[in-house]
Amino acid sequence: MNNNPISPHIQIYNWHVSSLVSISHRITGVINILALSLICFWTWSLLLGNESYEVIFNFFNSFIGKFFVIGFLWSYSFQILSEIRHWFWDLGYGFELKTSKVTGILVILGSILITVLIYSNRGILV
Amino acid sequence: MINATRKWILLKLSSFLMVPFMIWFLIKFVSIYDGDYQSVVSVFSNQFMAIIFSIFITITFFHSALSISEIFEDYISNENTRKFANMMVYLSSFLIPLITIITLCKI
Repeated sequence: MNNNPISPHIQIYNWHVSSLVSISHRITGVINILALSLICFWTWSLLLGNESYEVIFNFFNSFIGKFFVIGFLWSYSFQILSEIRHWFWDLGYGFELKTSKVTGILVILGSILITVLIYSNRGILV
Repeated sequence: MINATRKWILLKLSSFLMVPFMIWFLIKFVSIYDGDYQSVVSVFSNQFMAIIFSIFITITFFHSALSISEIFEDYISNENTRKFANMMVYLSSFLIPLITIITLCKI
């Protein structure tokens, strides 16, 4: 095993928009797959019948349940926009410091906007 | 082609495929999550919905397994621990979509 330092040094670097979006991309990626696993378990619960489903129904209709759904919505929206930002980087665009900062801010604000738009228009968009 | 290049290409391809499905799923999920048993069953028993959802989870779990293994590369220095963590992620990324697809076929 080599003795190269593990990366990134998030506890050493000064925080910038780029580093915030970069580490958030990883964190939301992990959160998203855990949340999607829970949604898969939710579909499994459908096989157990109405009574078992009541537990999940009550959870989703509680304050914490709605917080979970809105958090899930934001986390996925963030991931989508951050992924699109990565595509532009892969094509060779957006590496300049100013551009990177602006696109980072766009990812953060855009994810909040998408969350609000989708949640407030739920039922209408389908 | 070296392994890292193949992994990067697969990550990019899966991300490209995944994003439109993510948008679709978000819109769909927030419209059904607080529905009663019958309404949720009727959504998932719809063949079109079941197929699209199956494709979505297959691509997403595949992409996530590759991404999470990259995170392990960066943060887990012990090789055996990293191999075990990778194995668990790949296994769950195979089993969870598989069981979900079987479930959707039975709903």
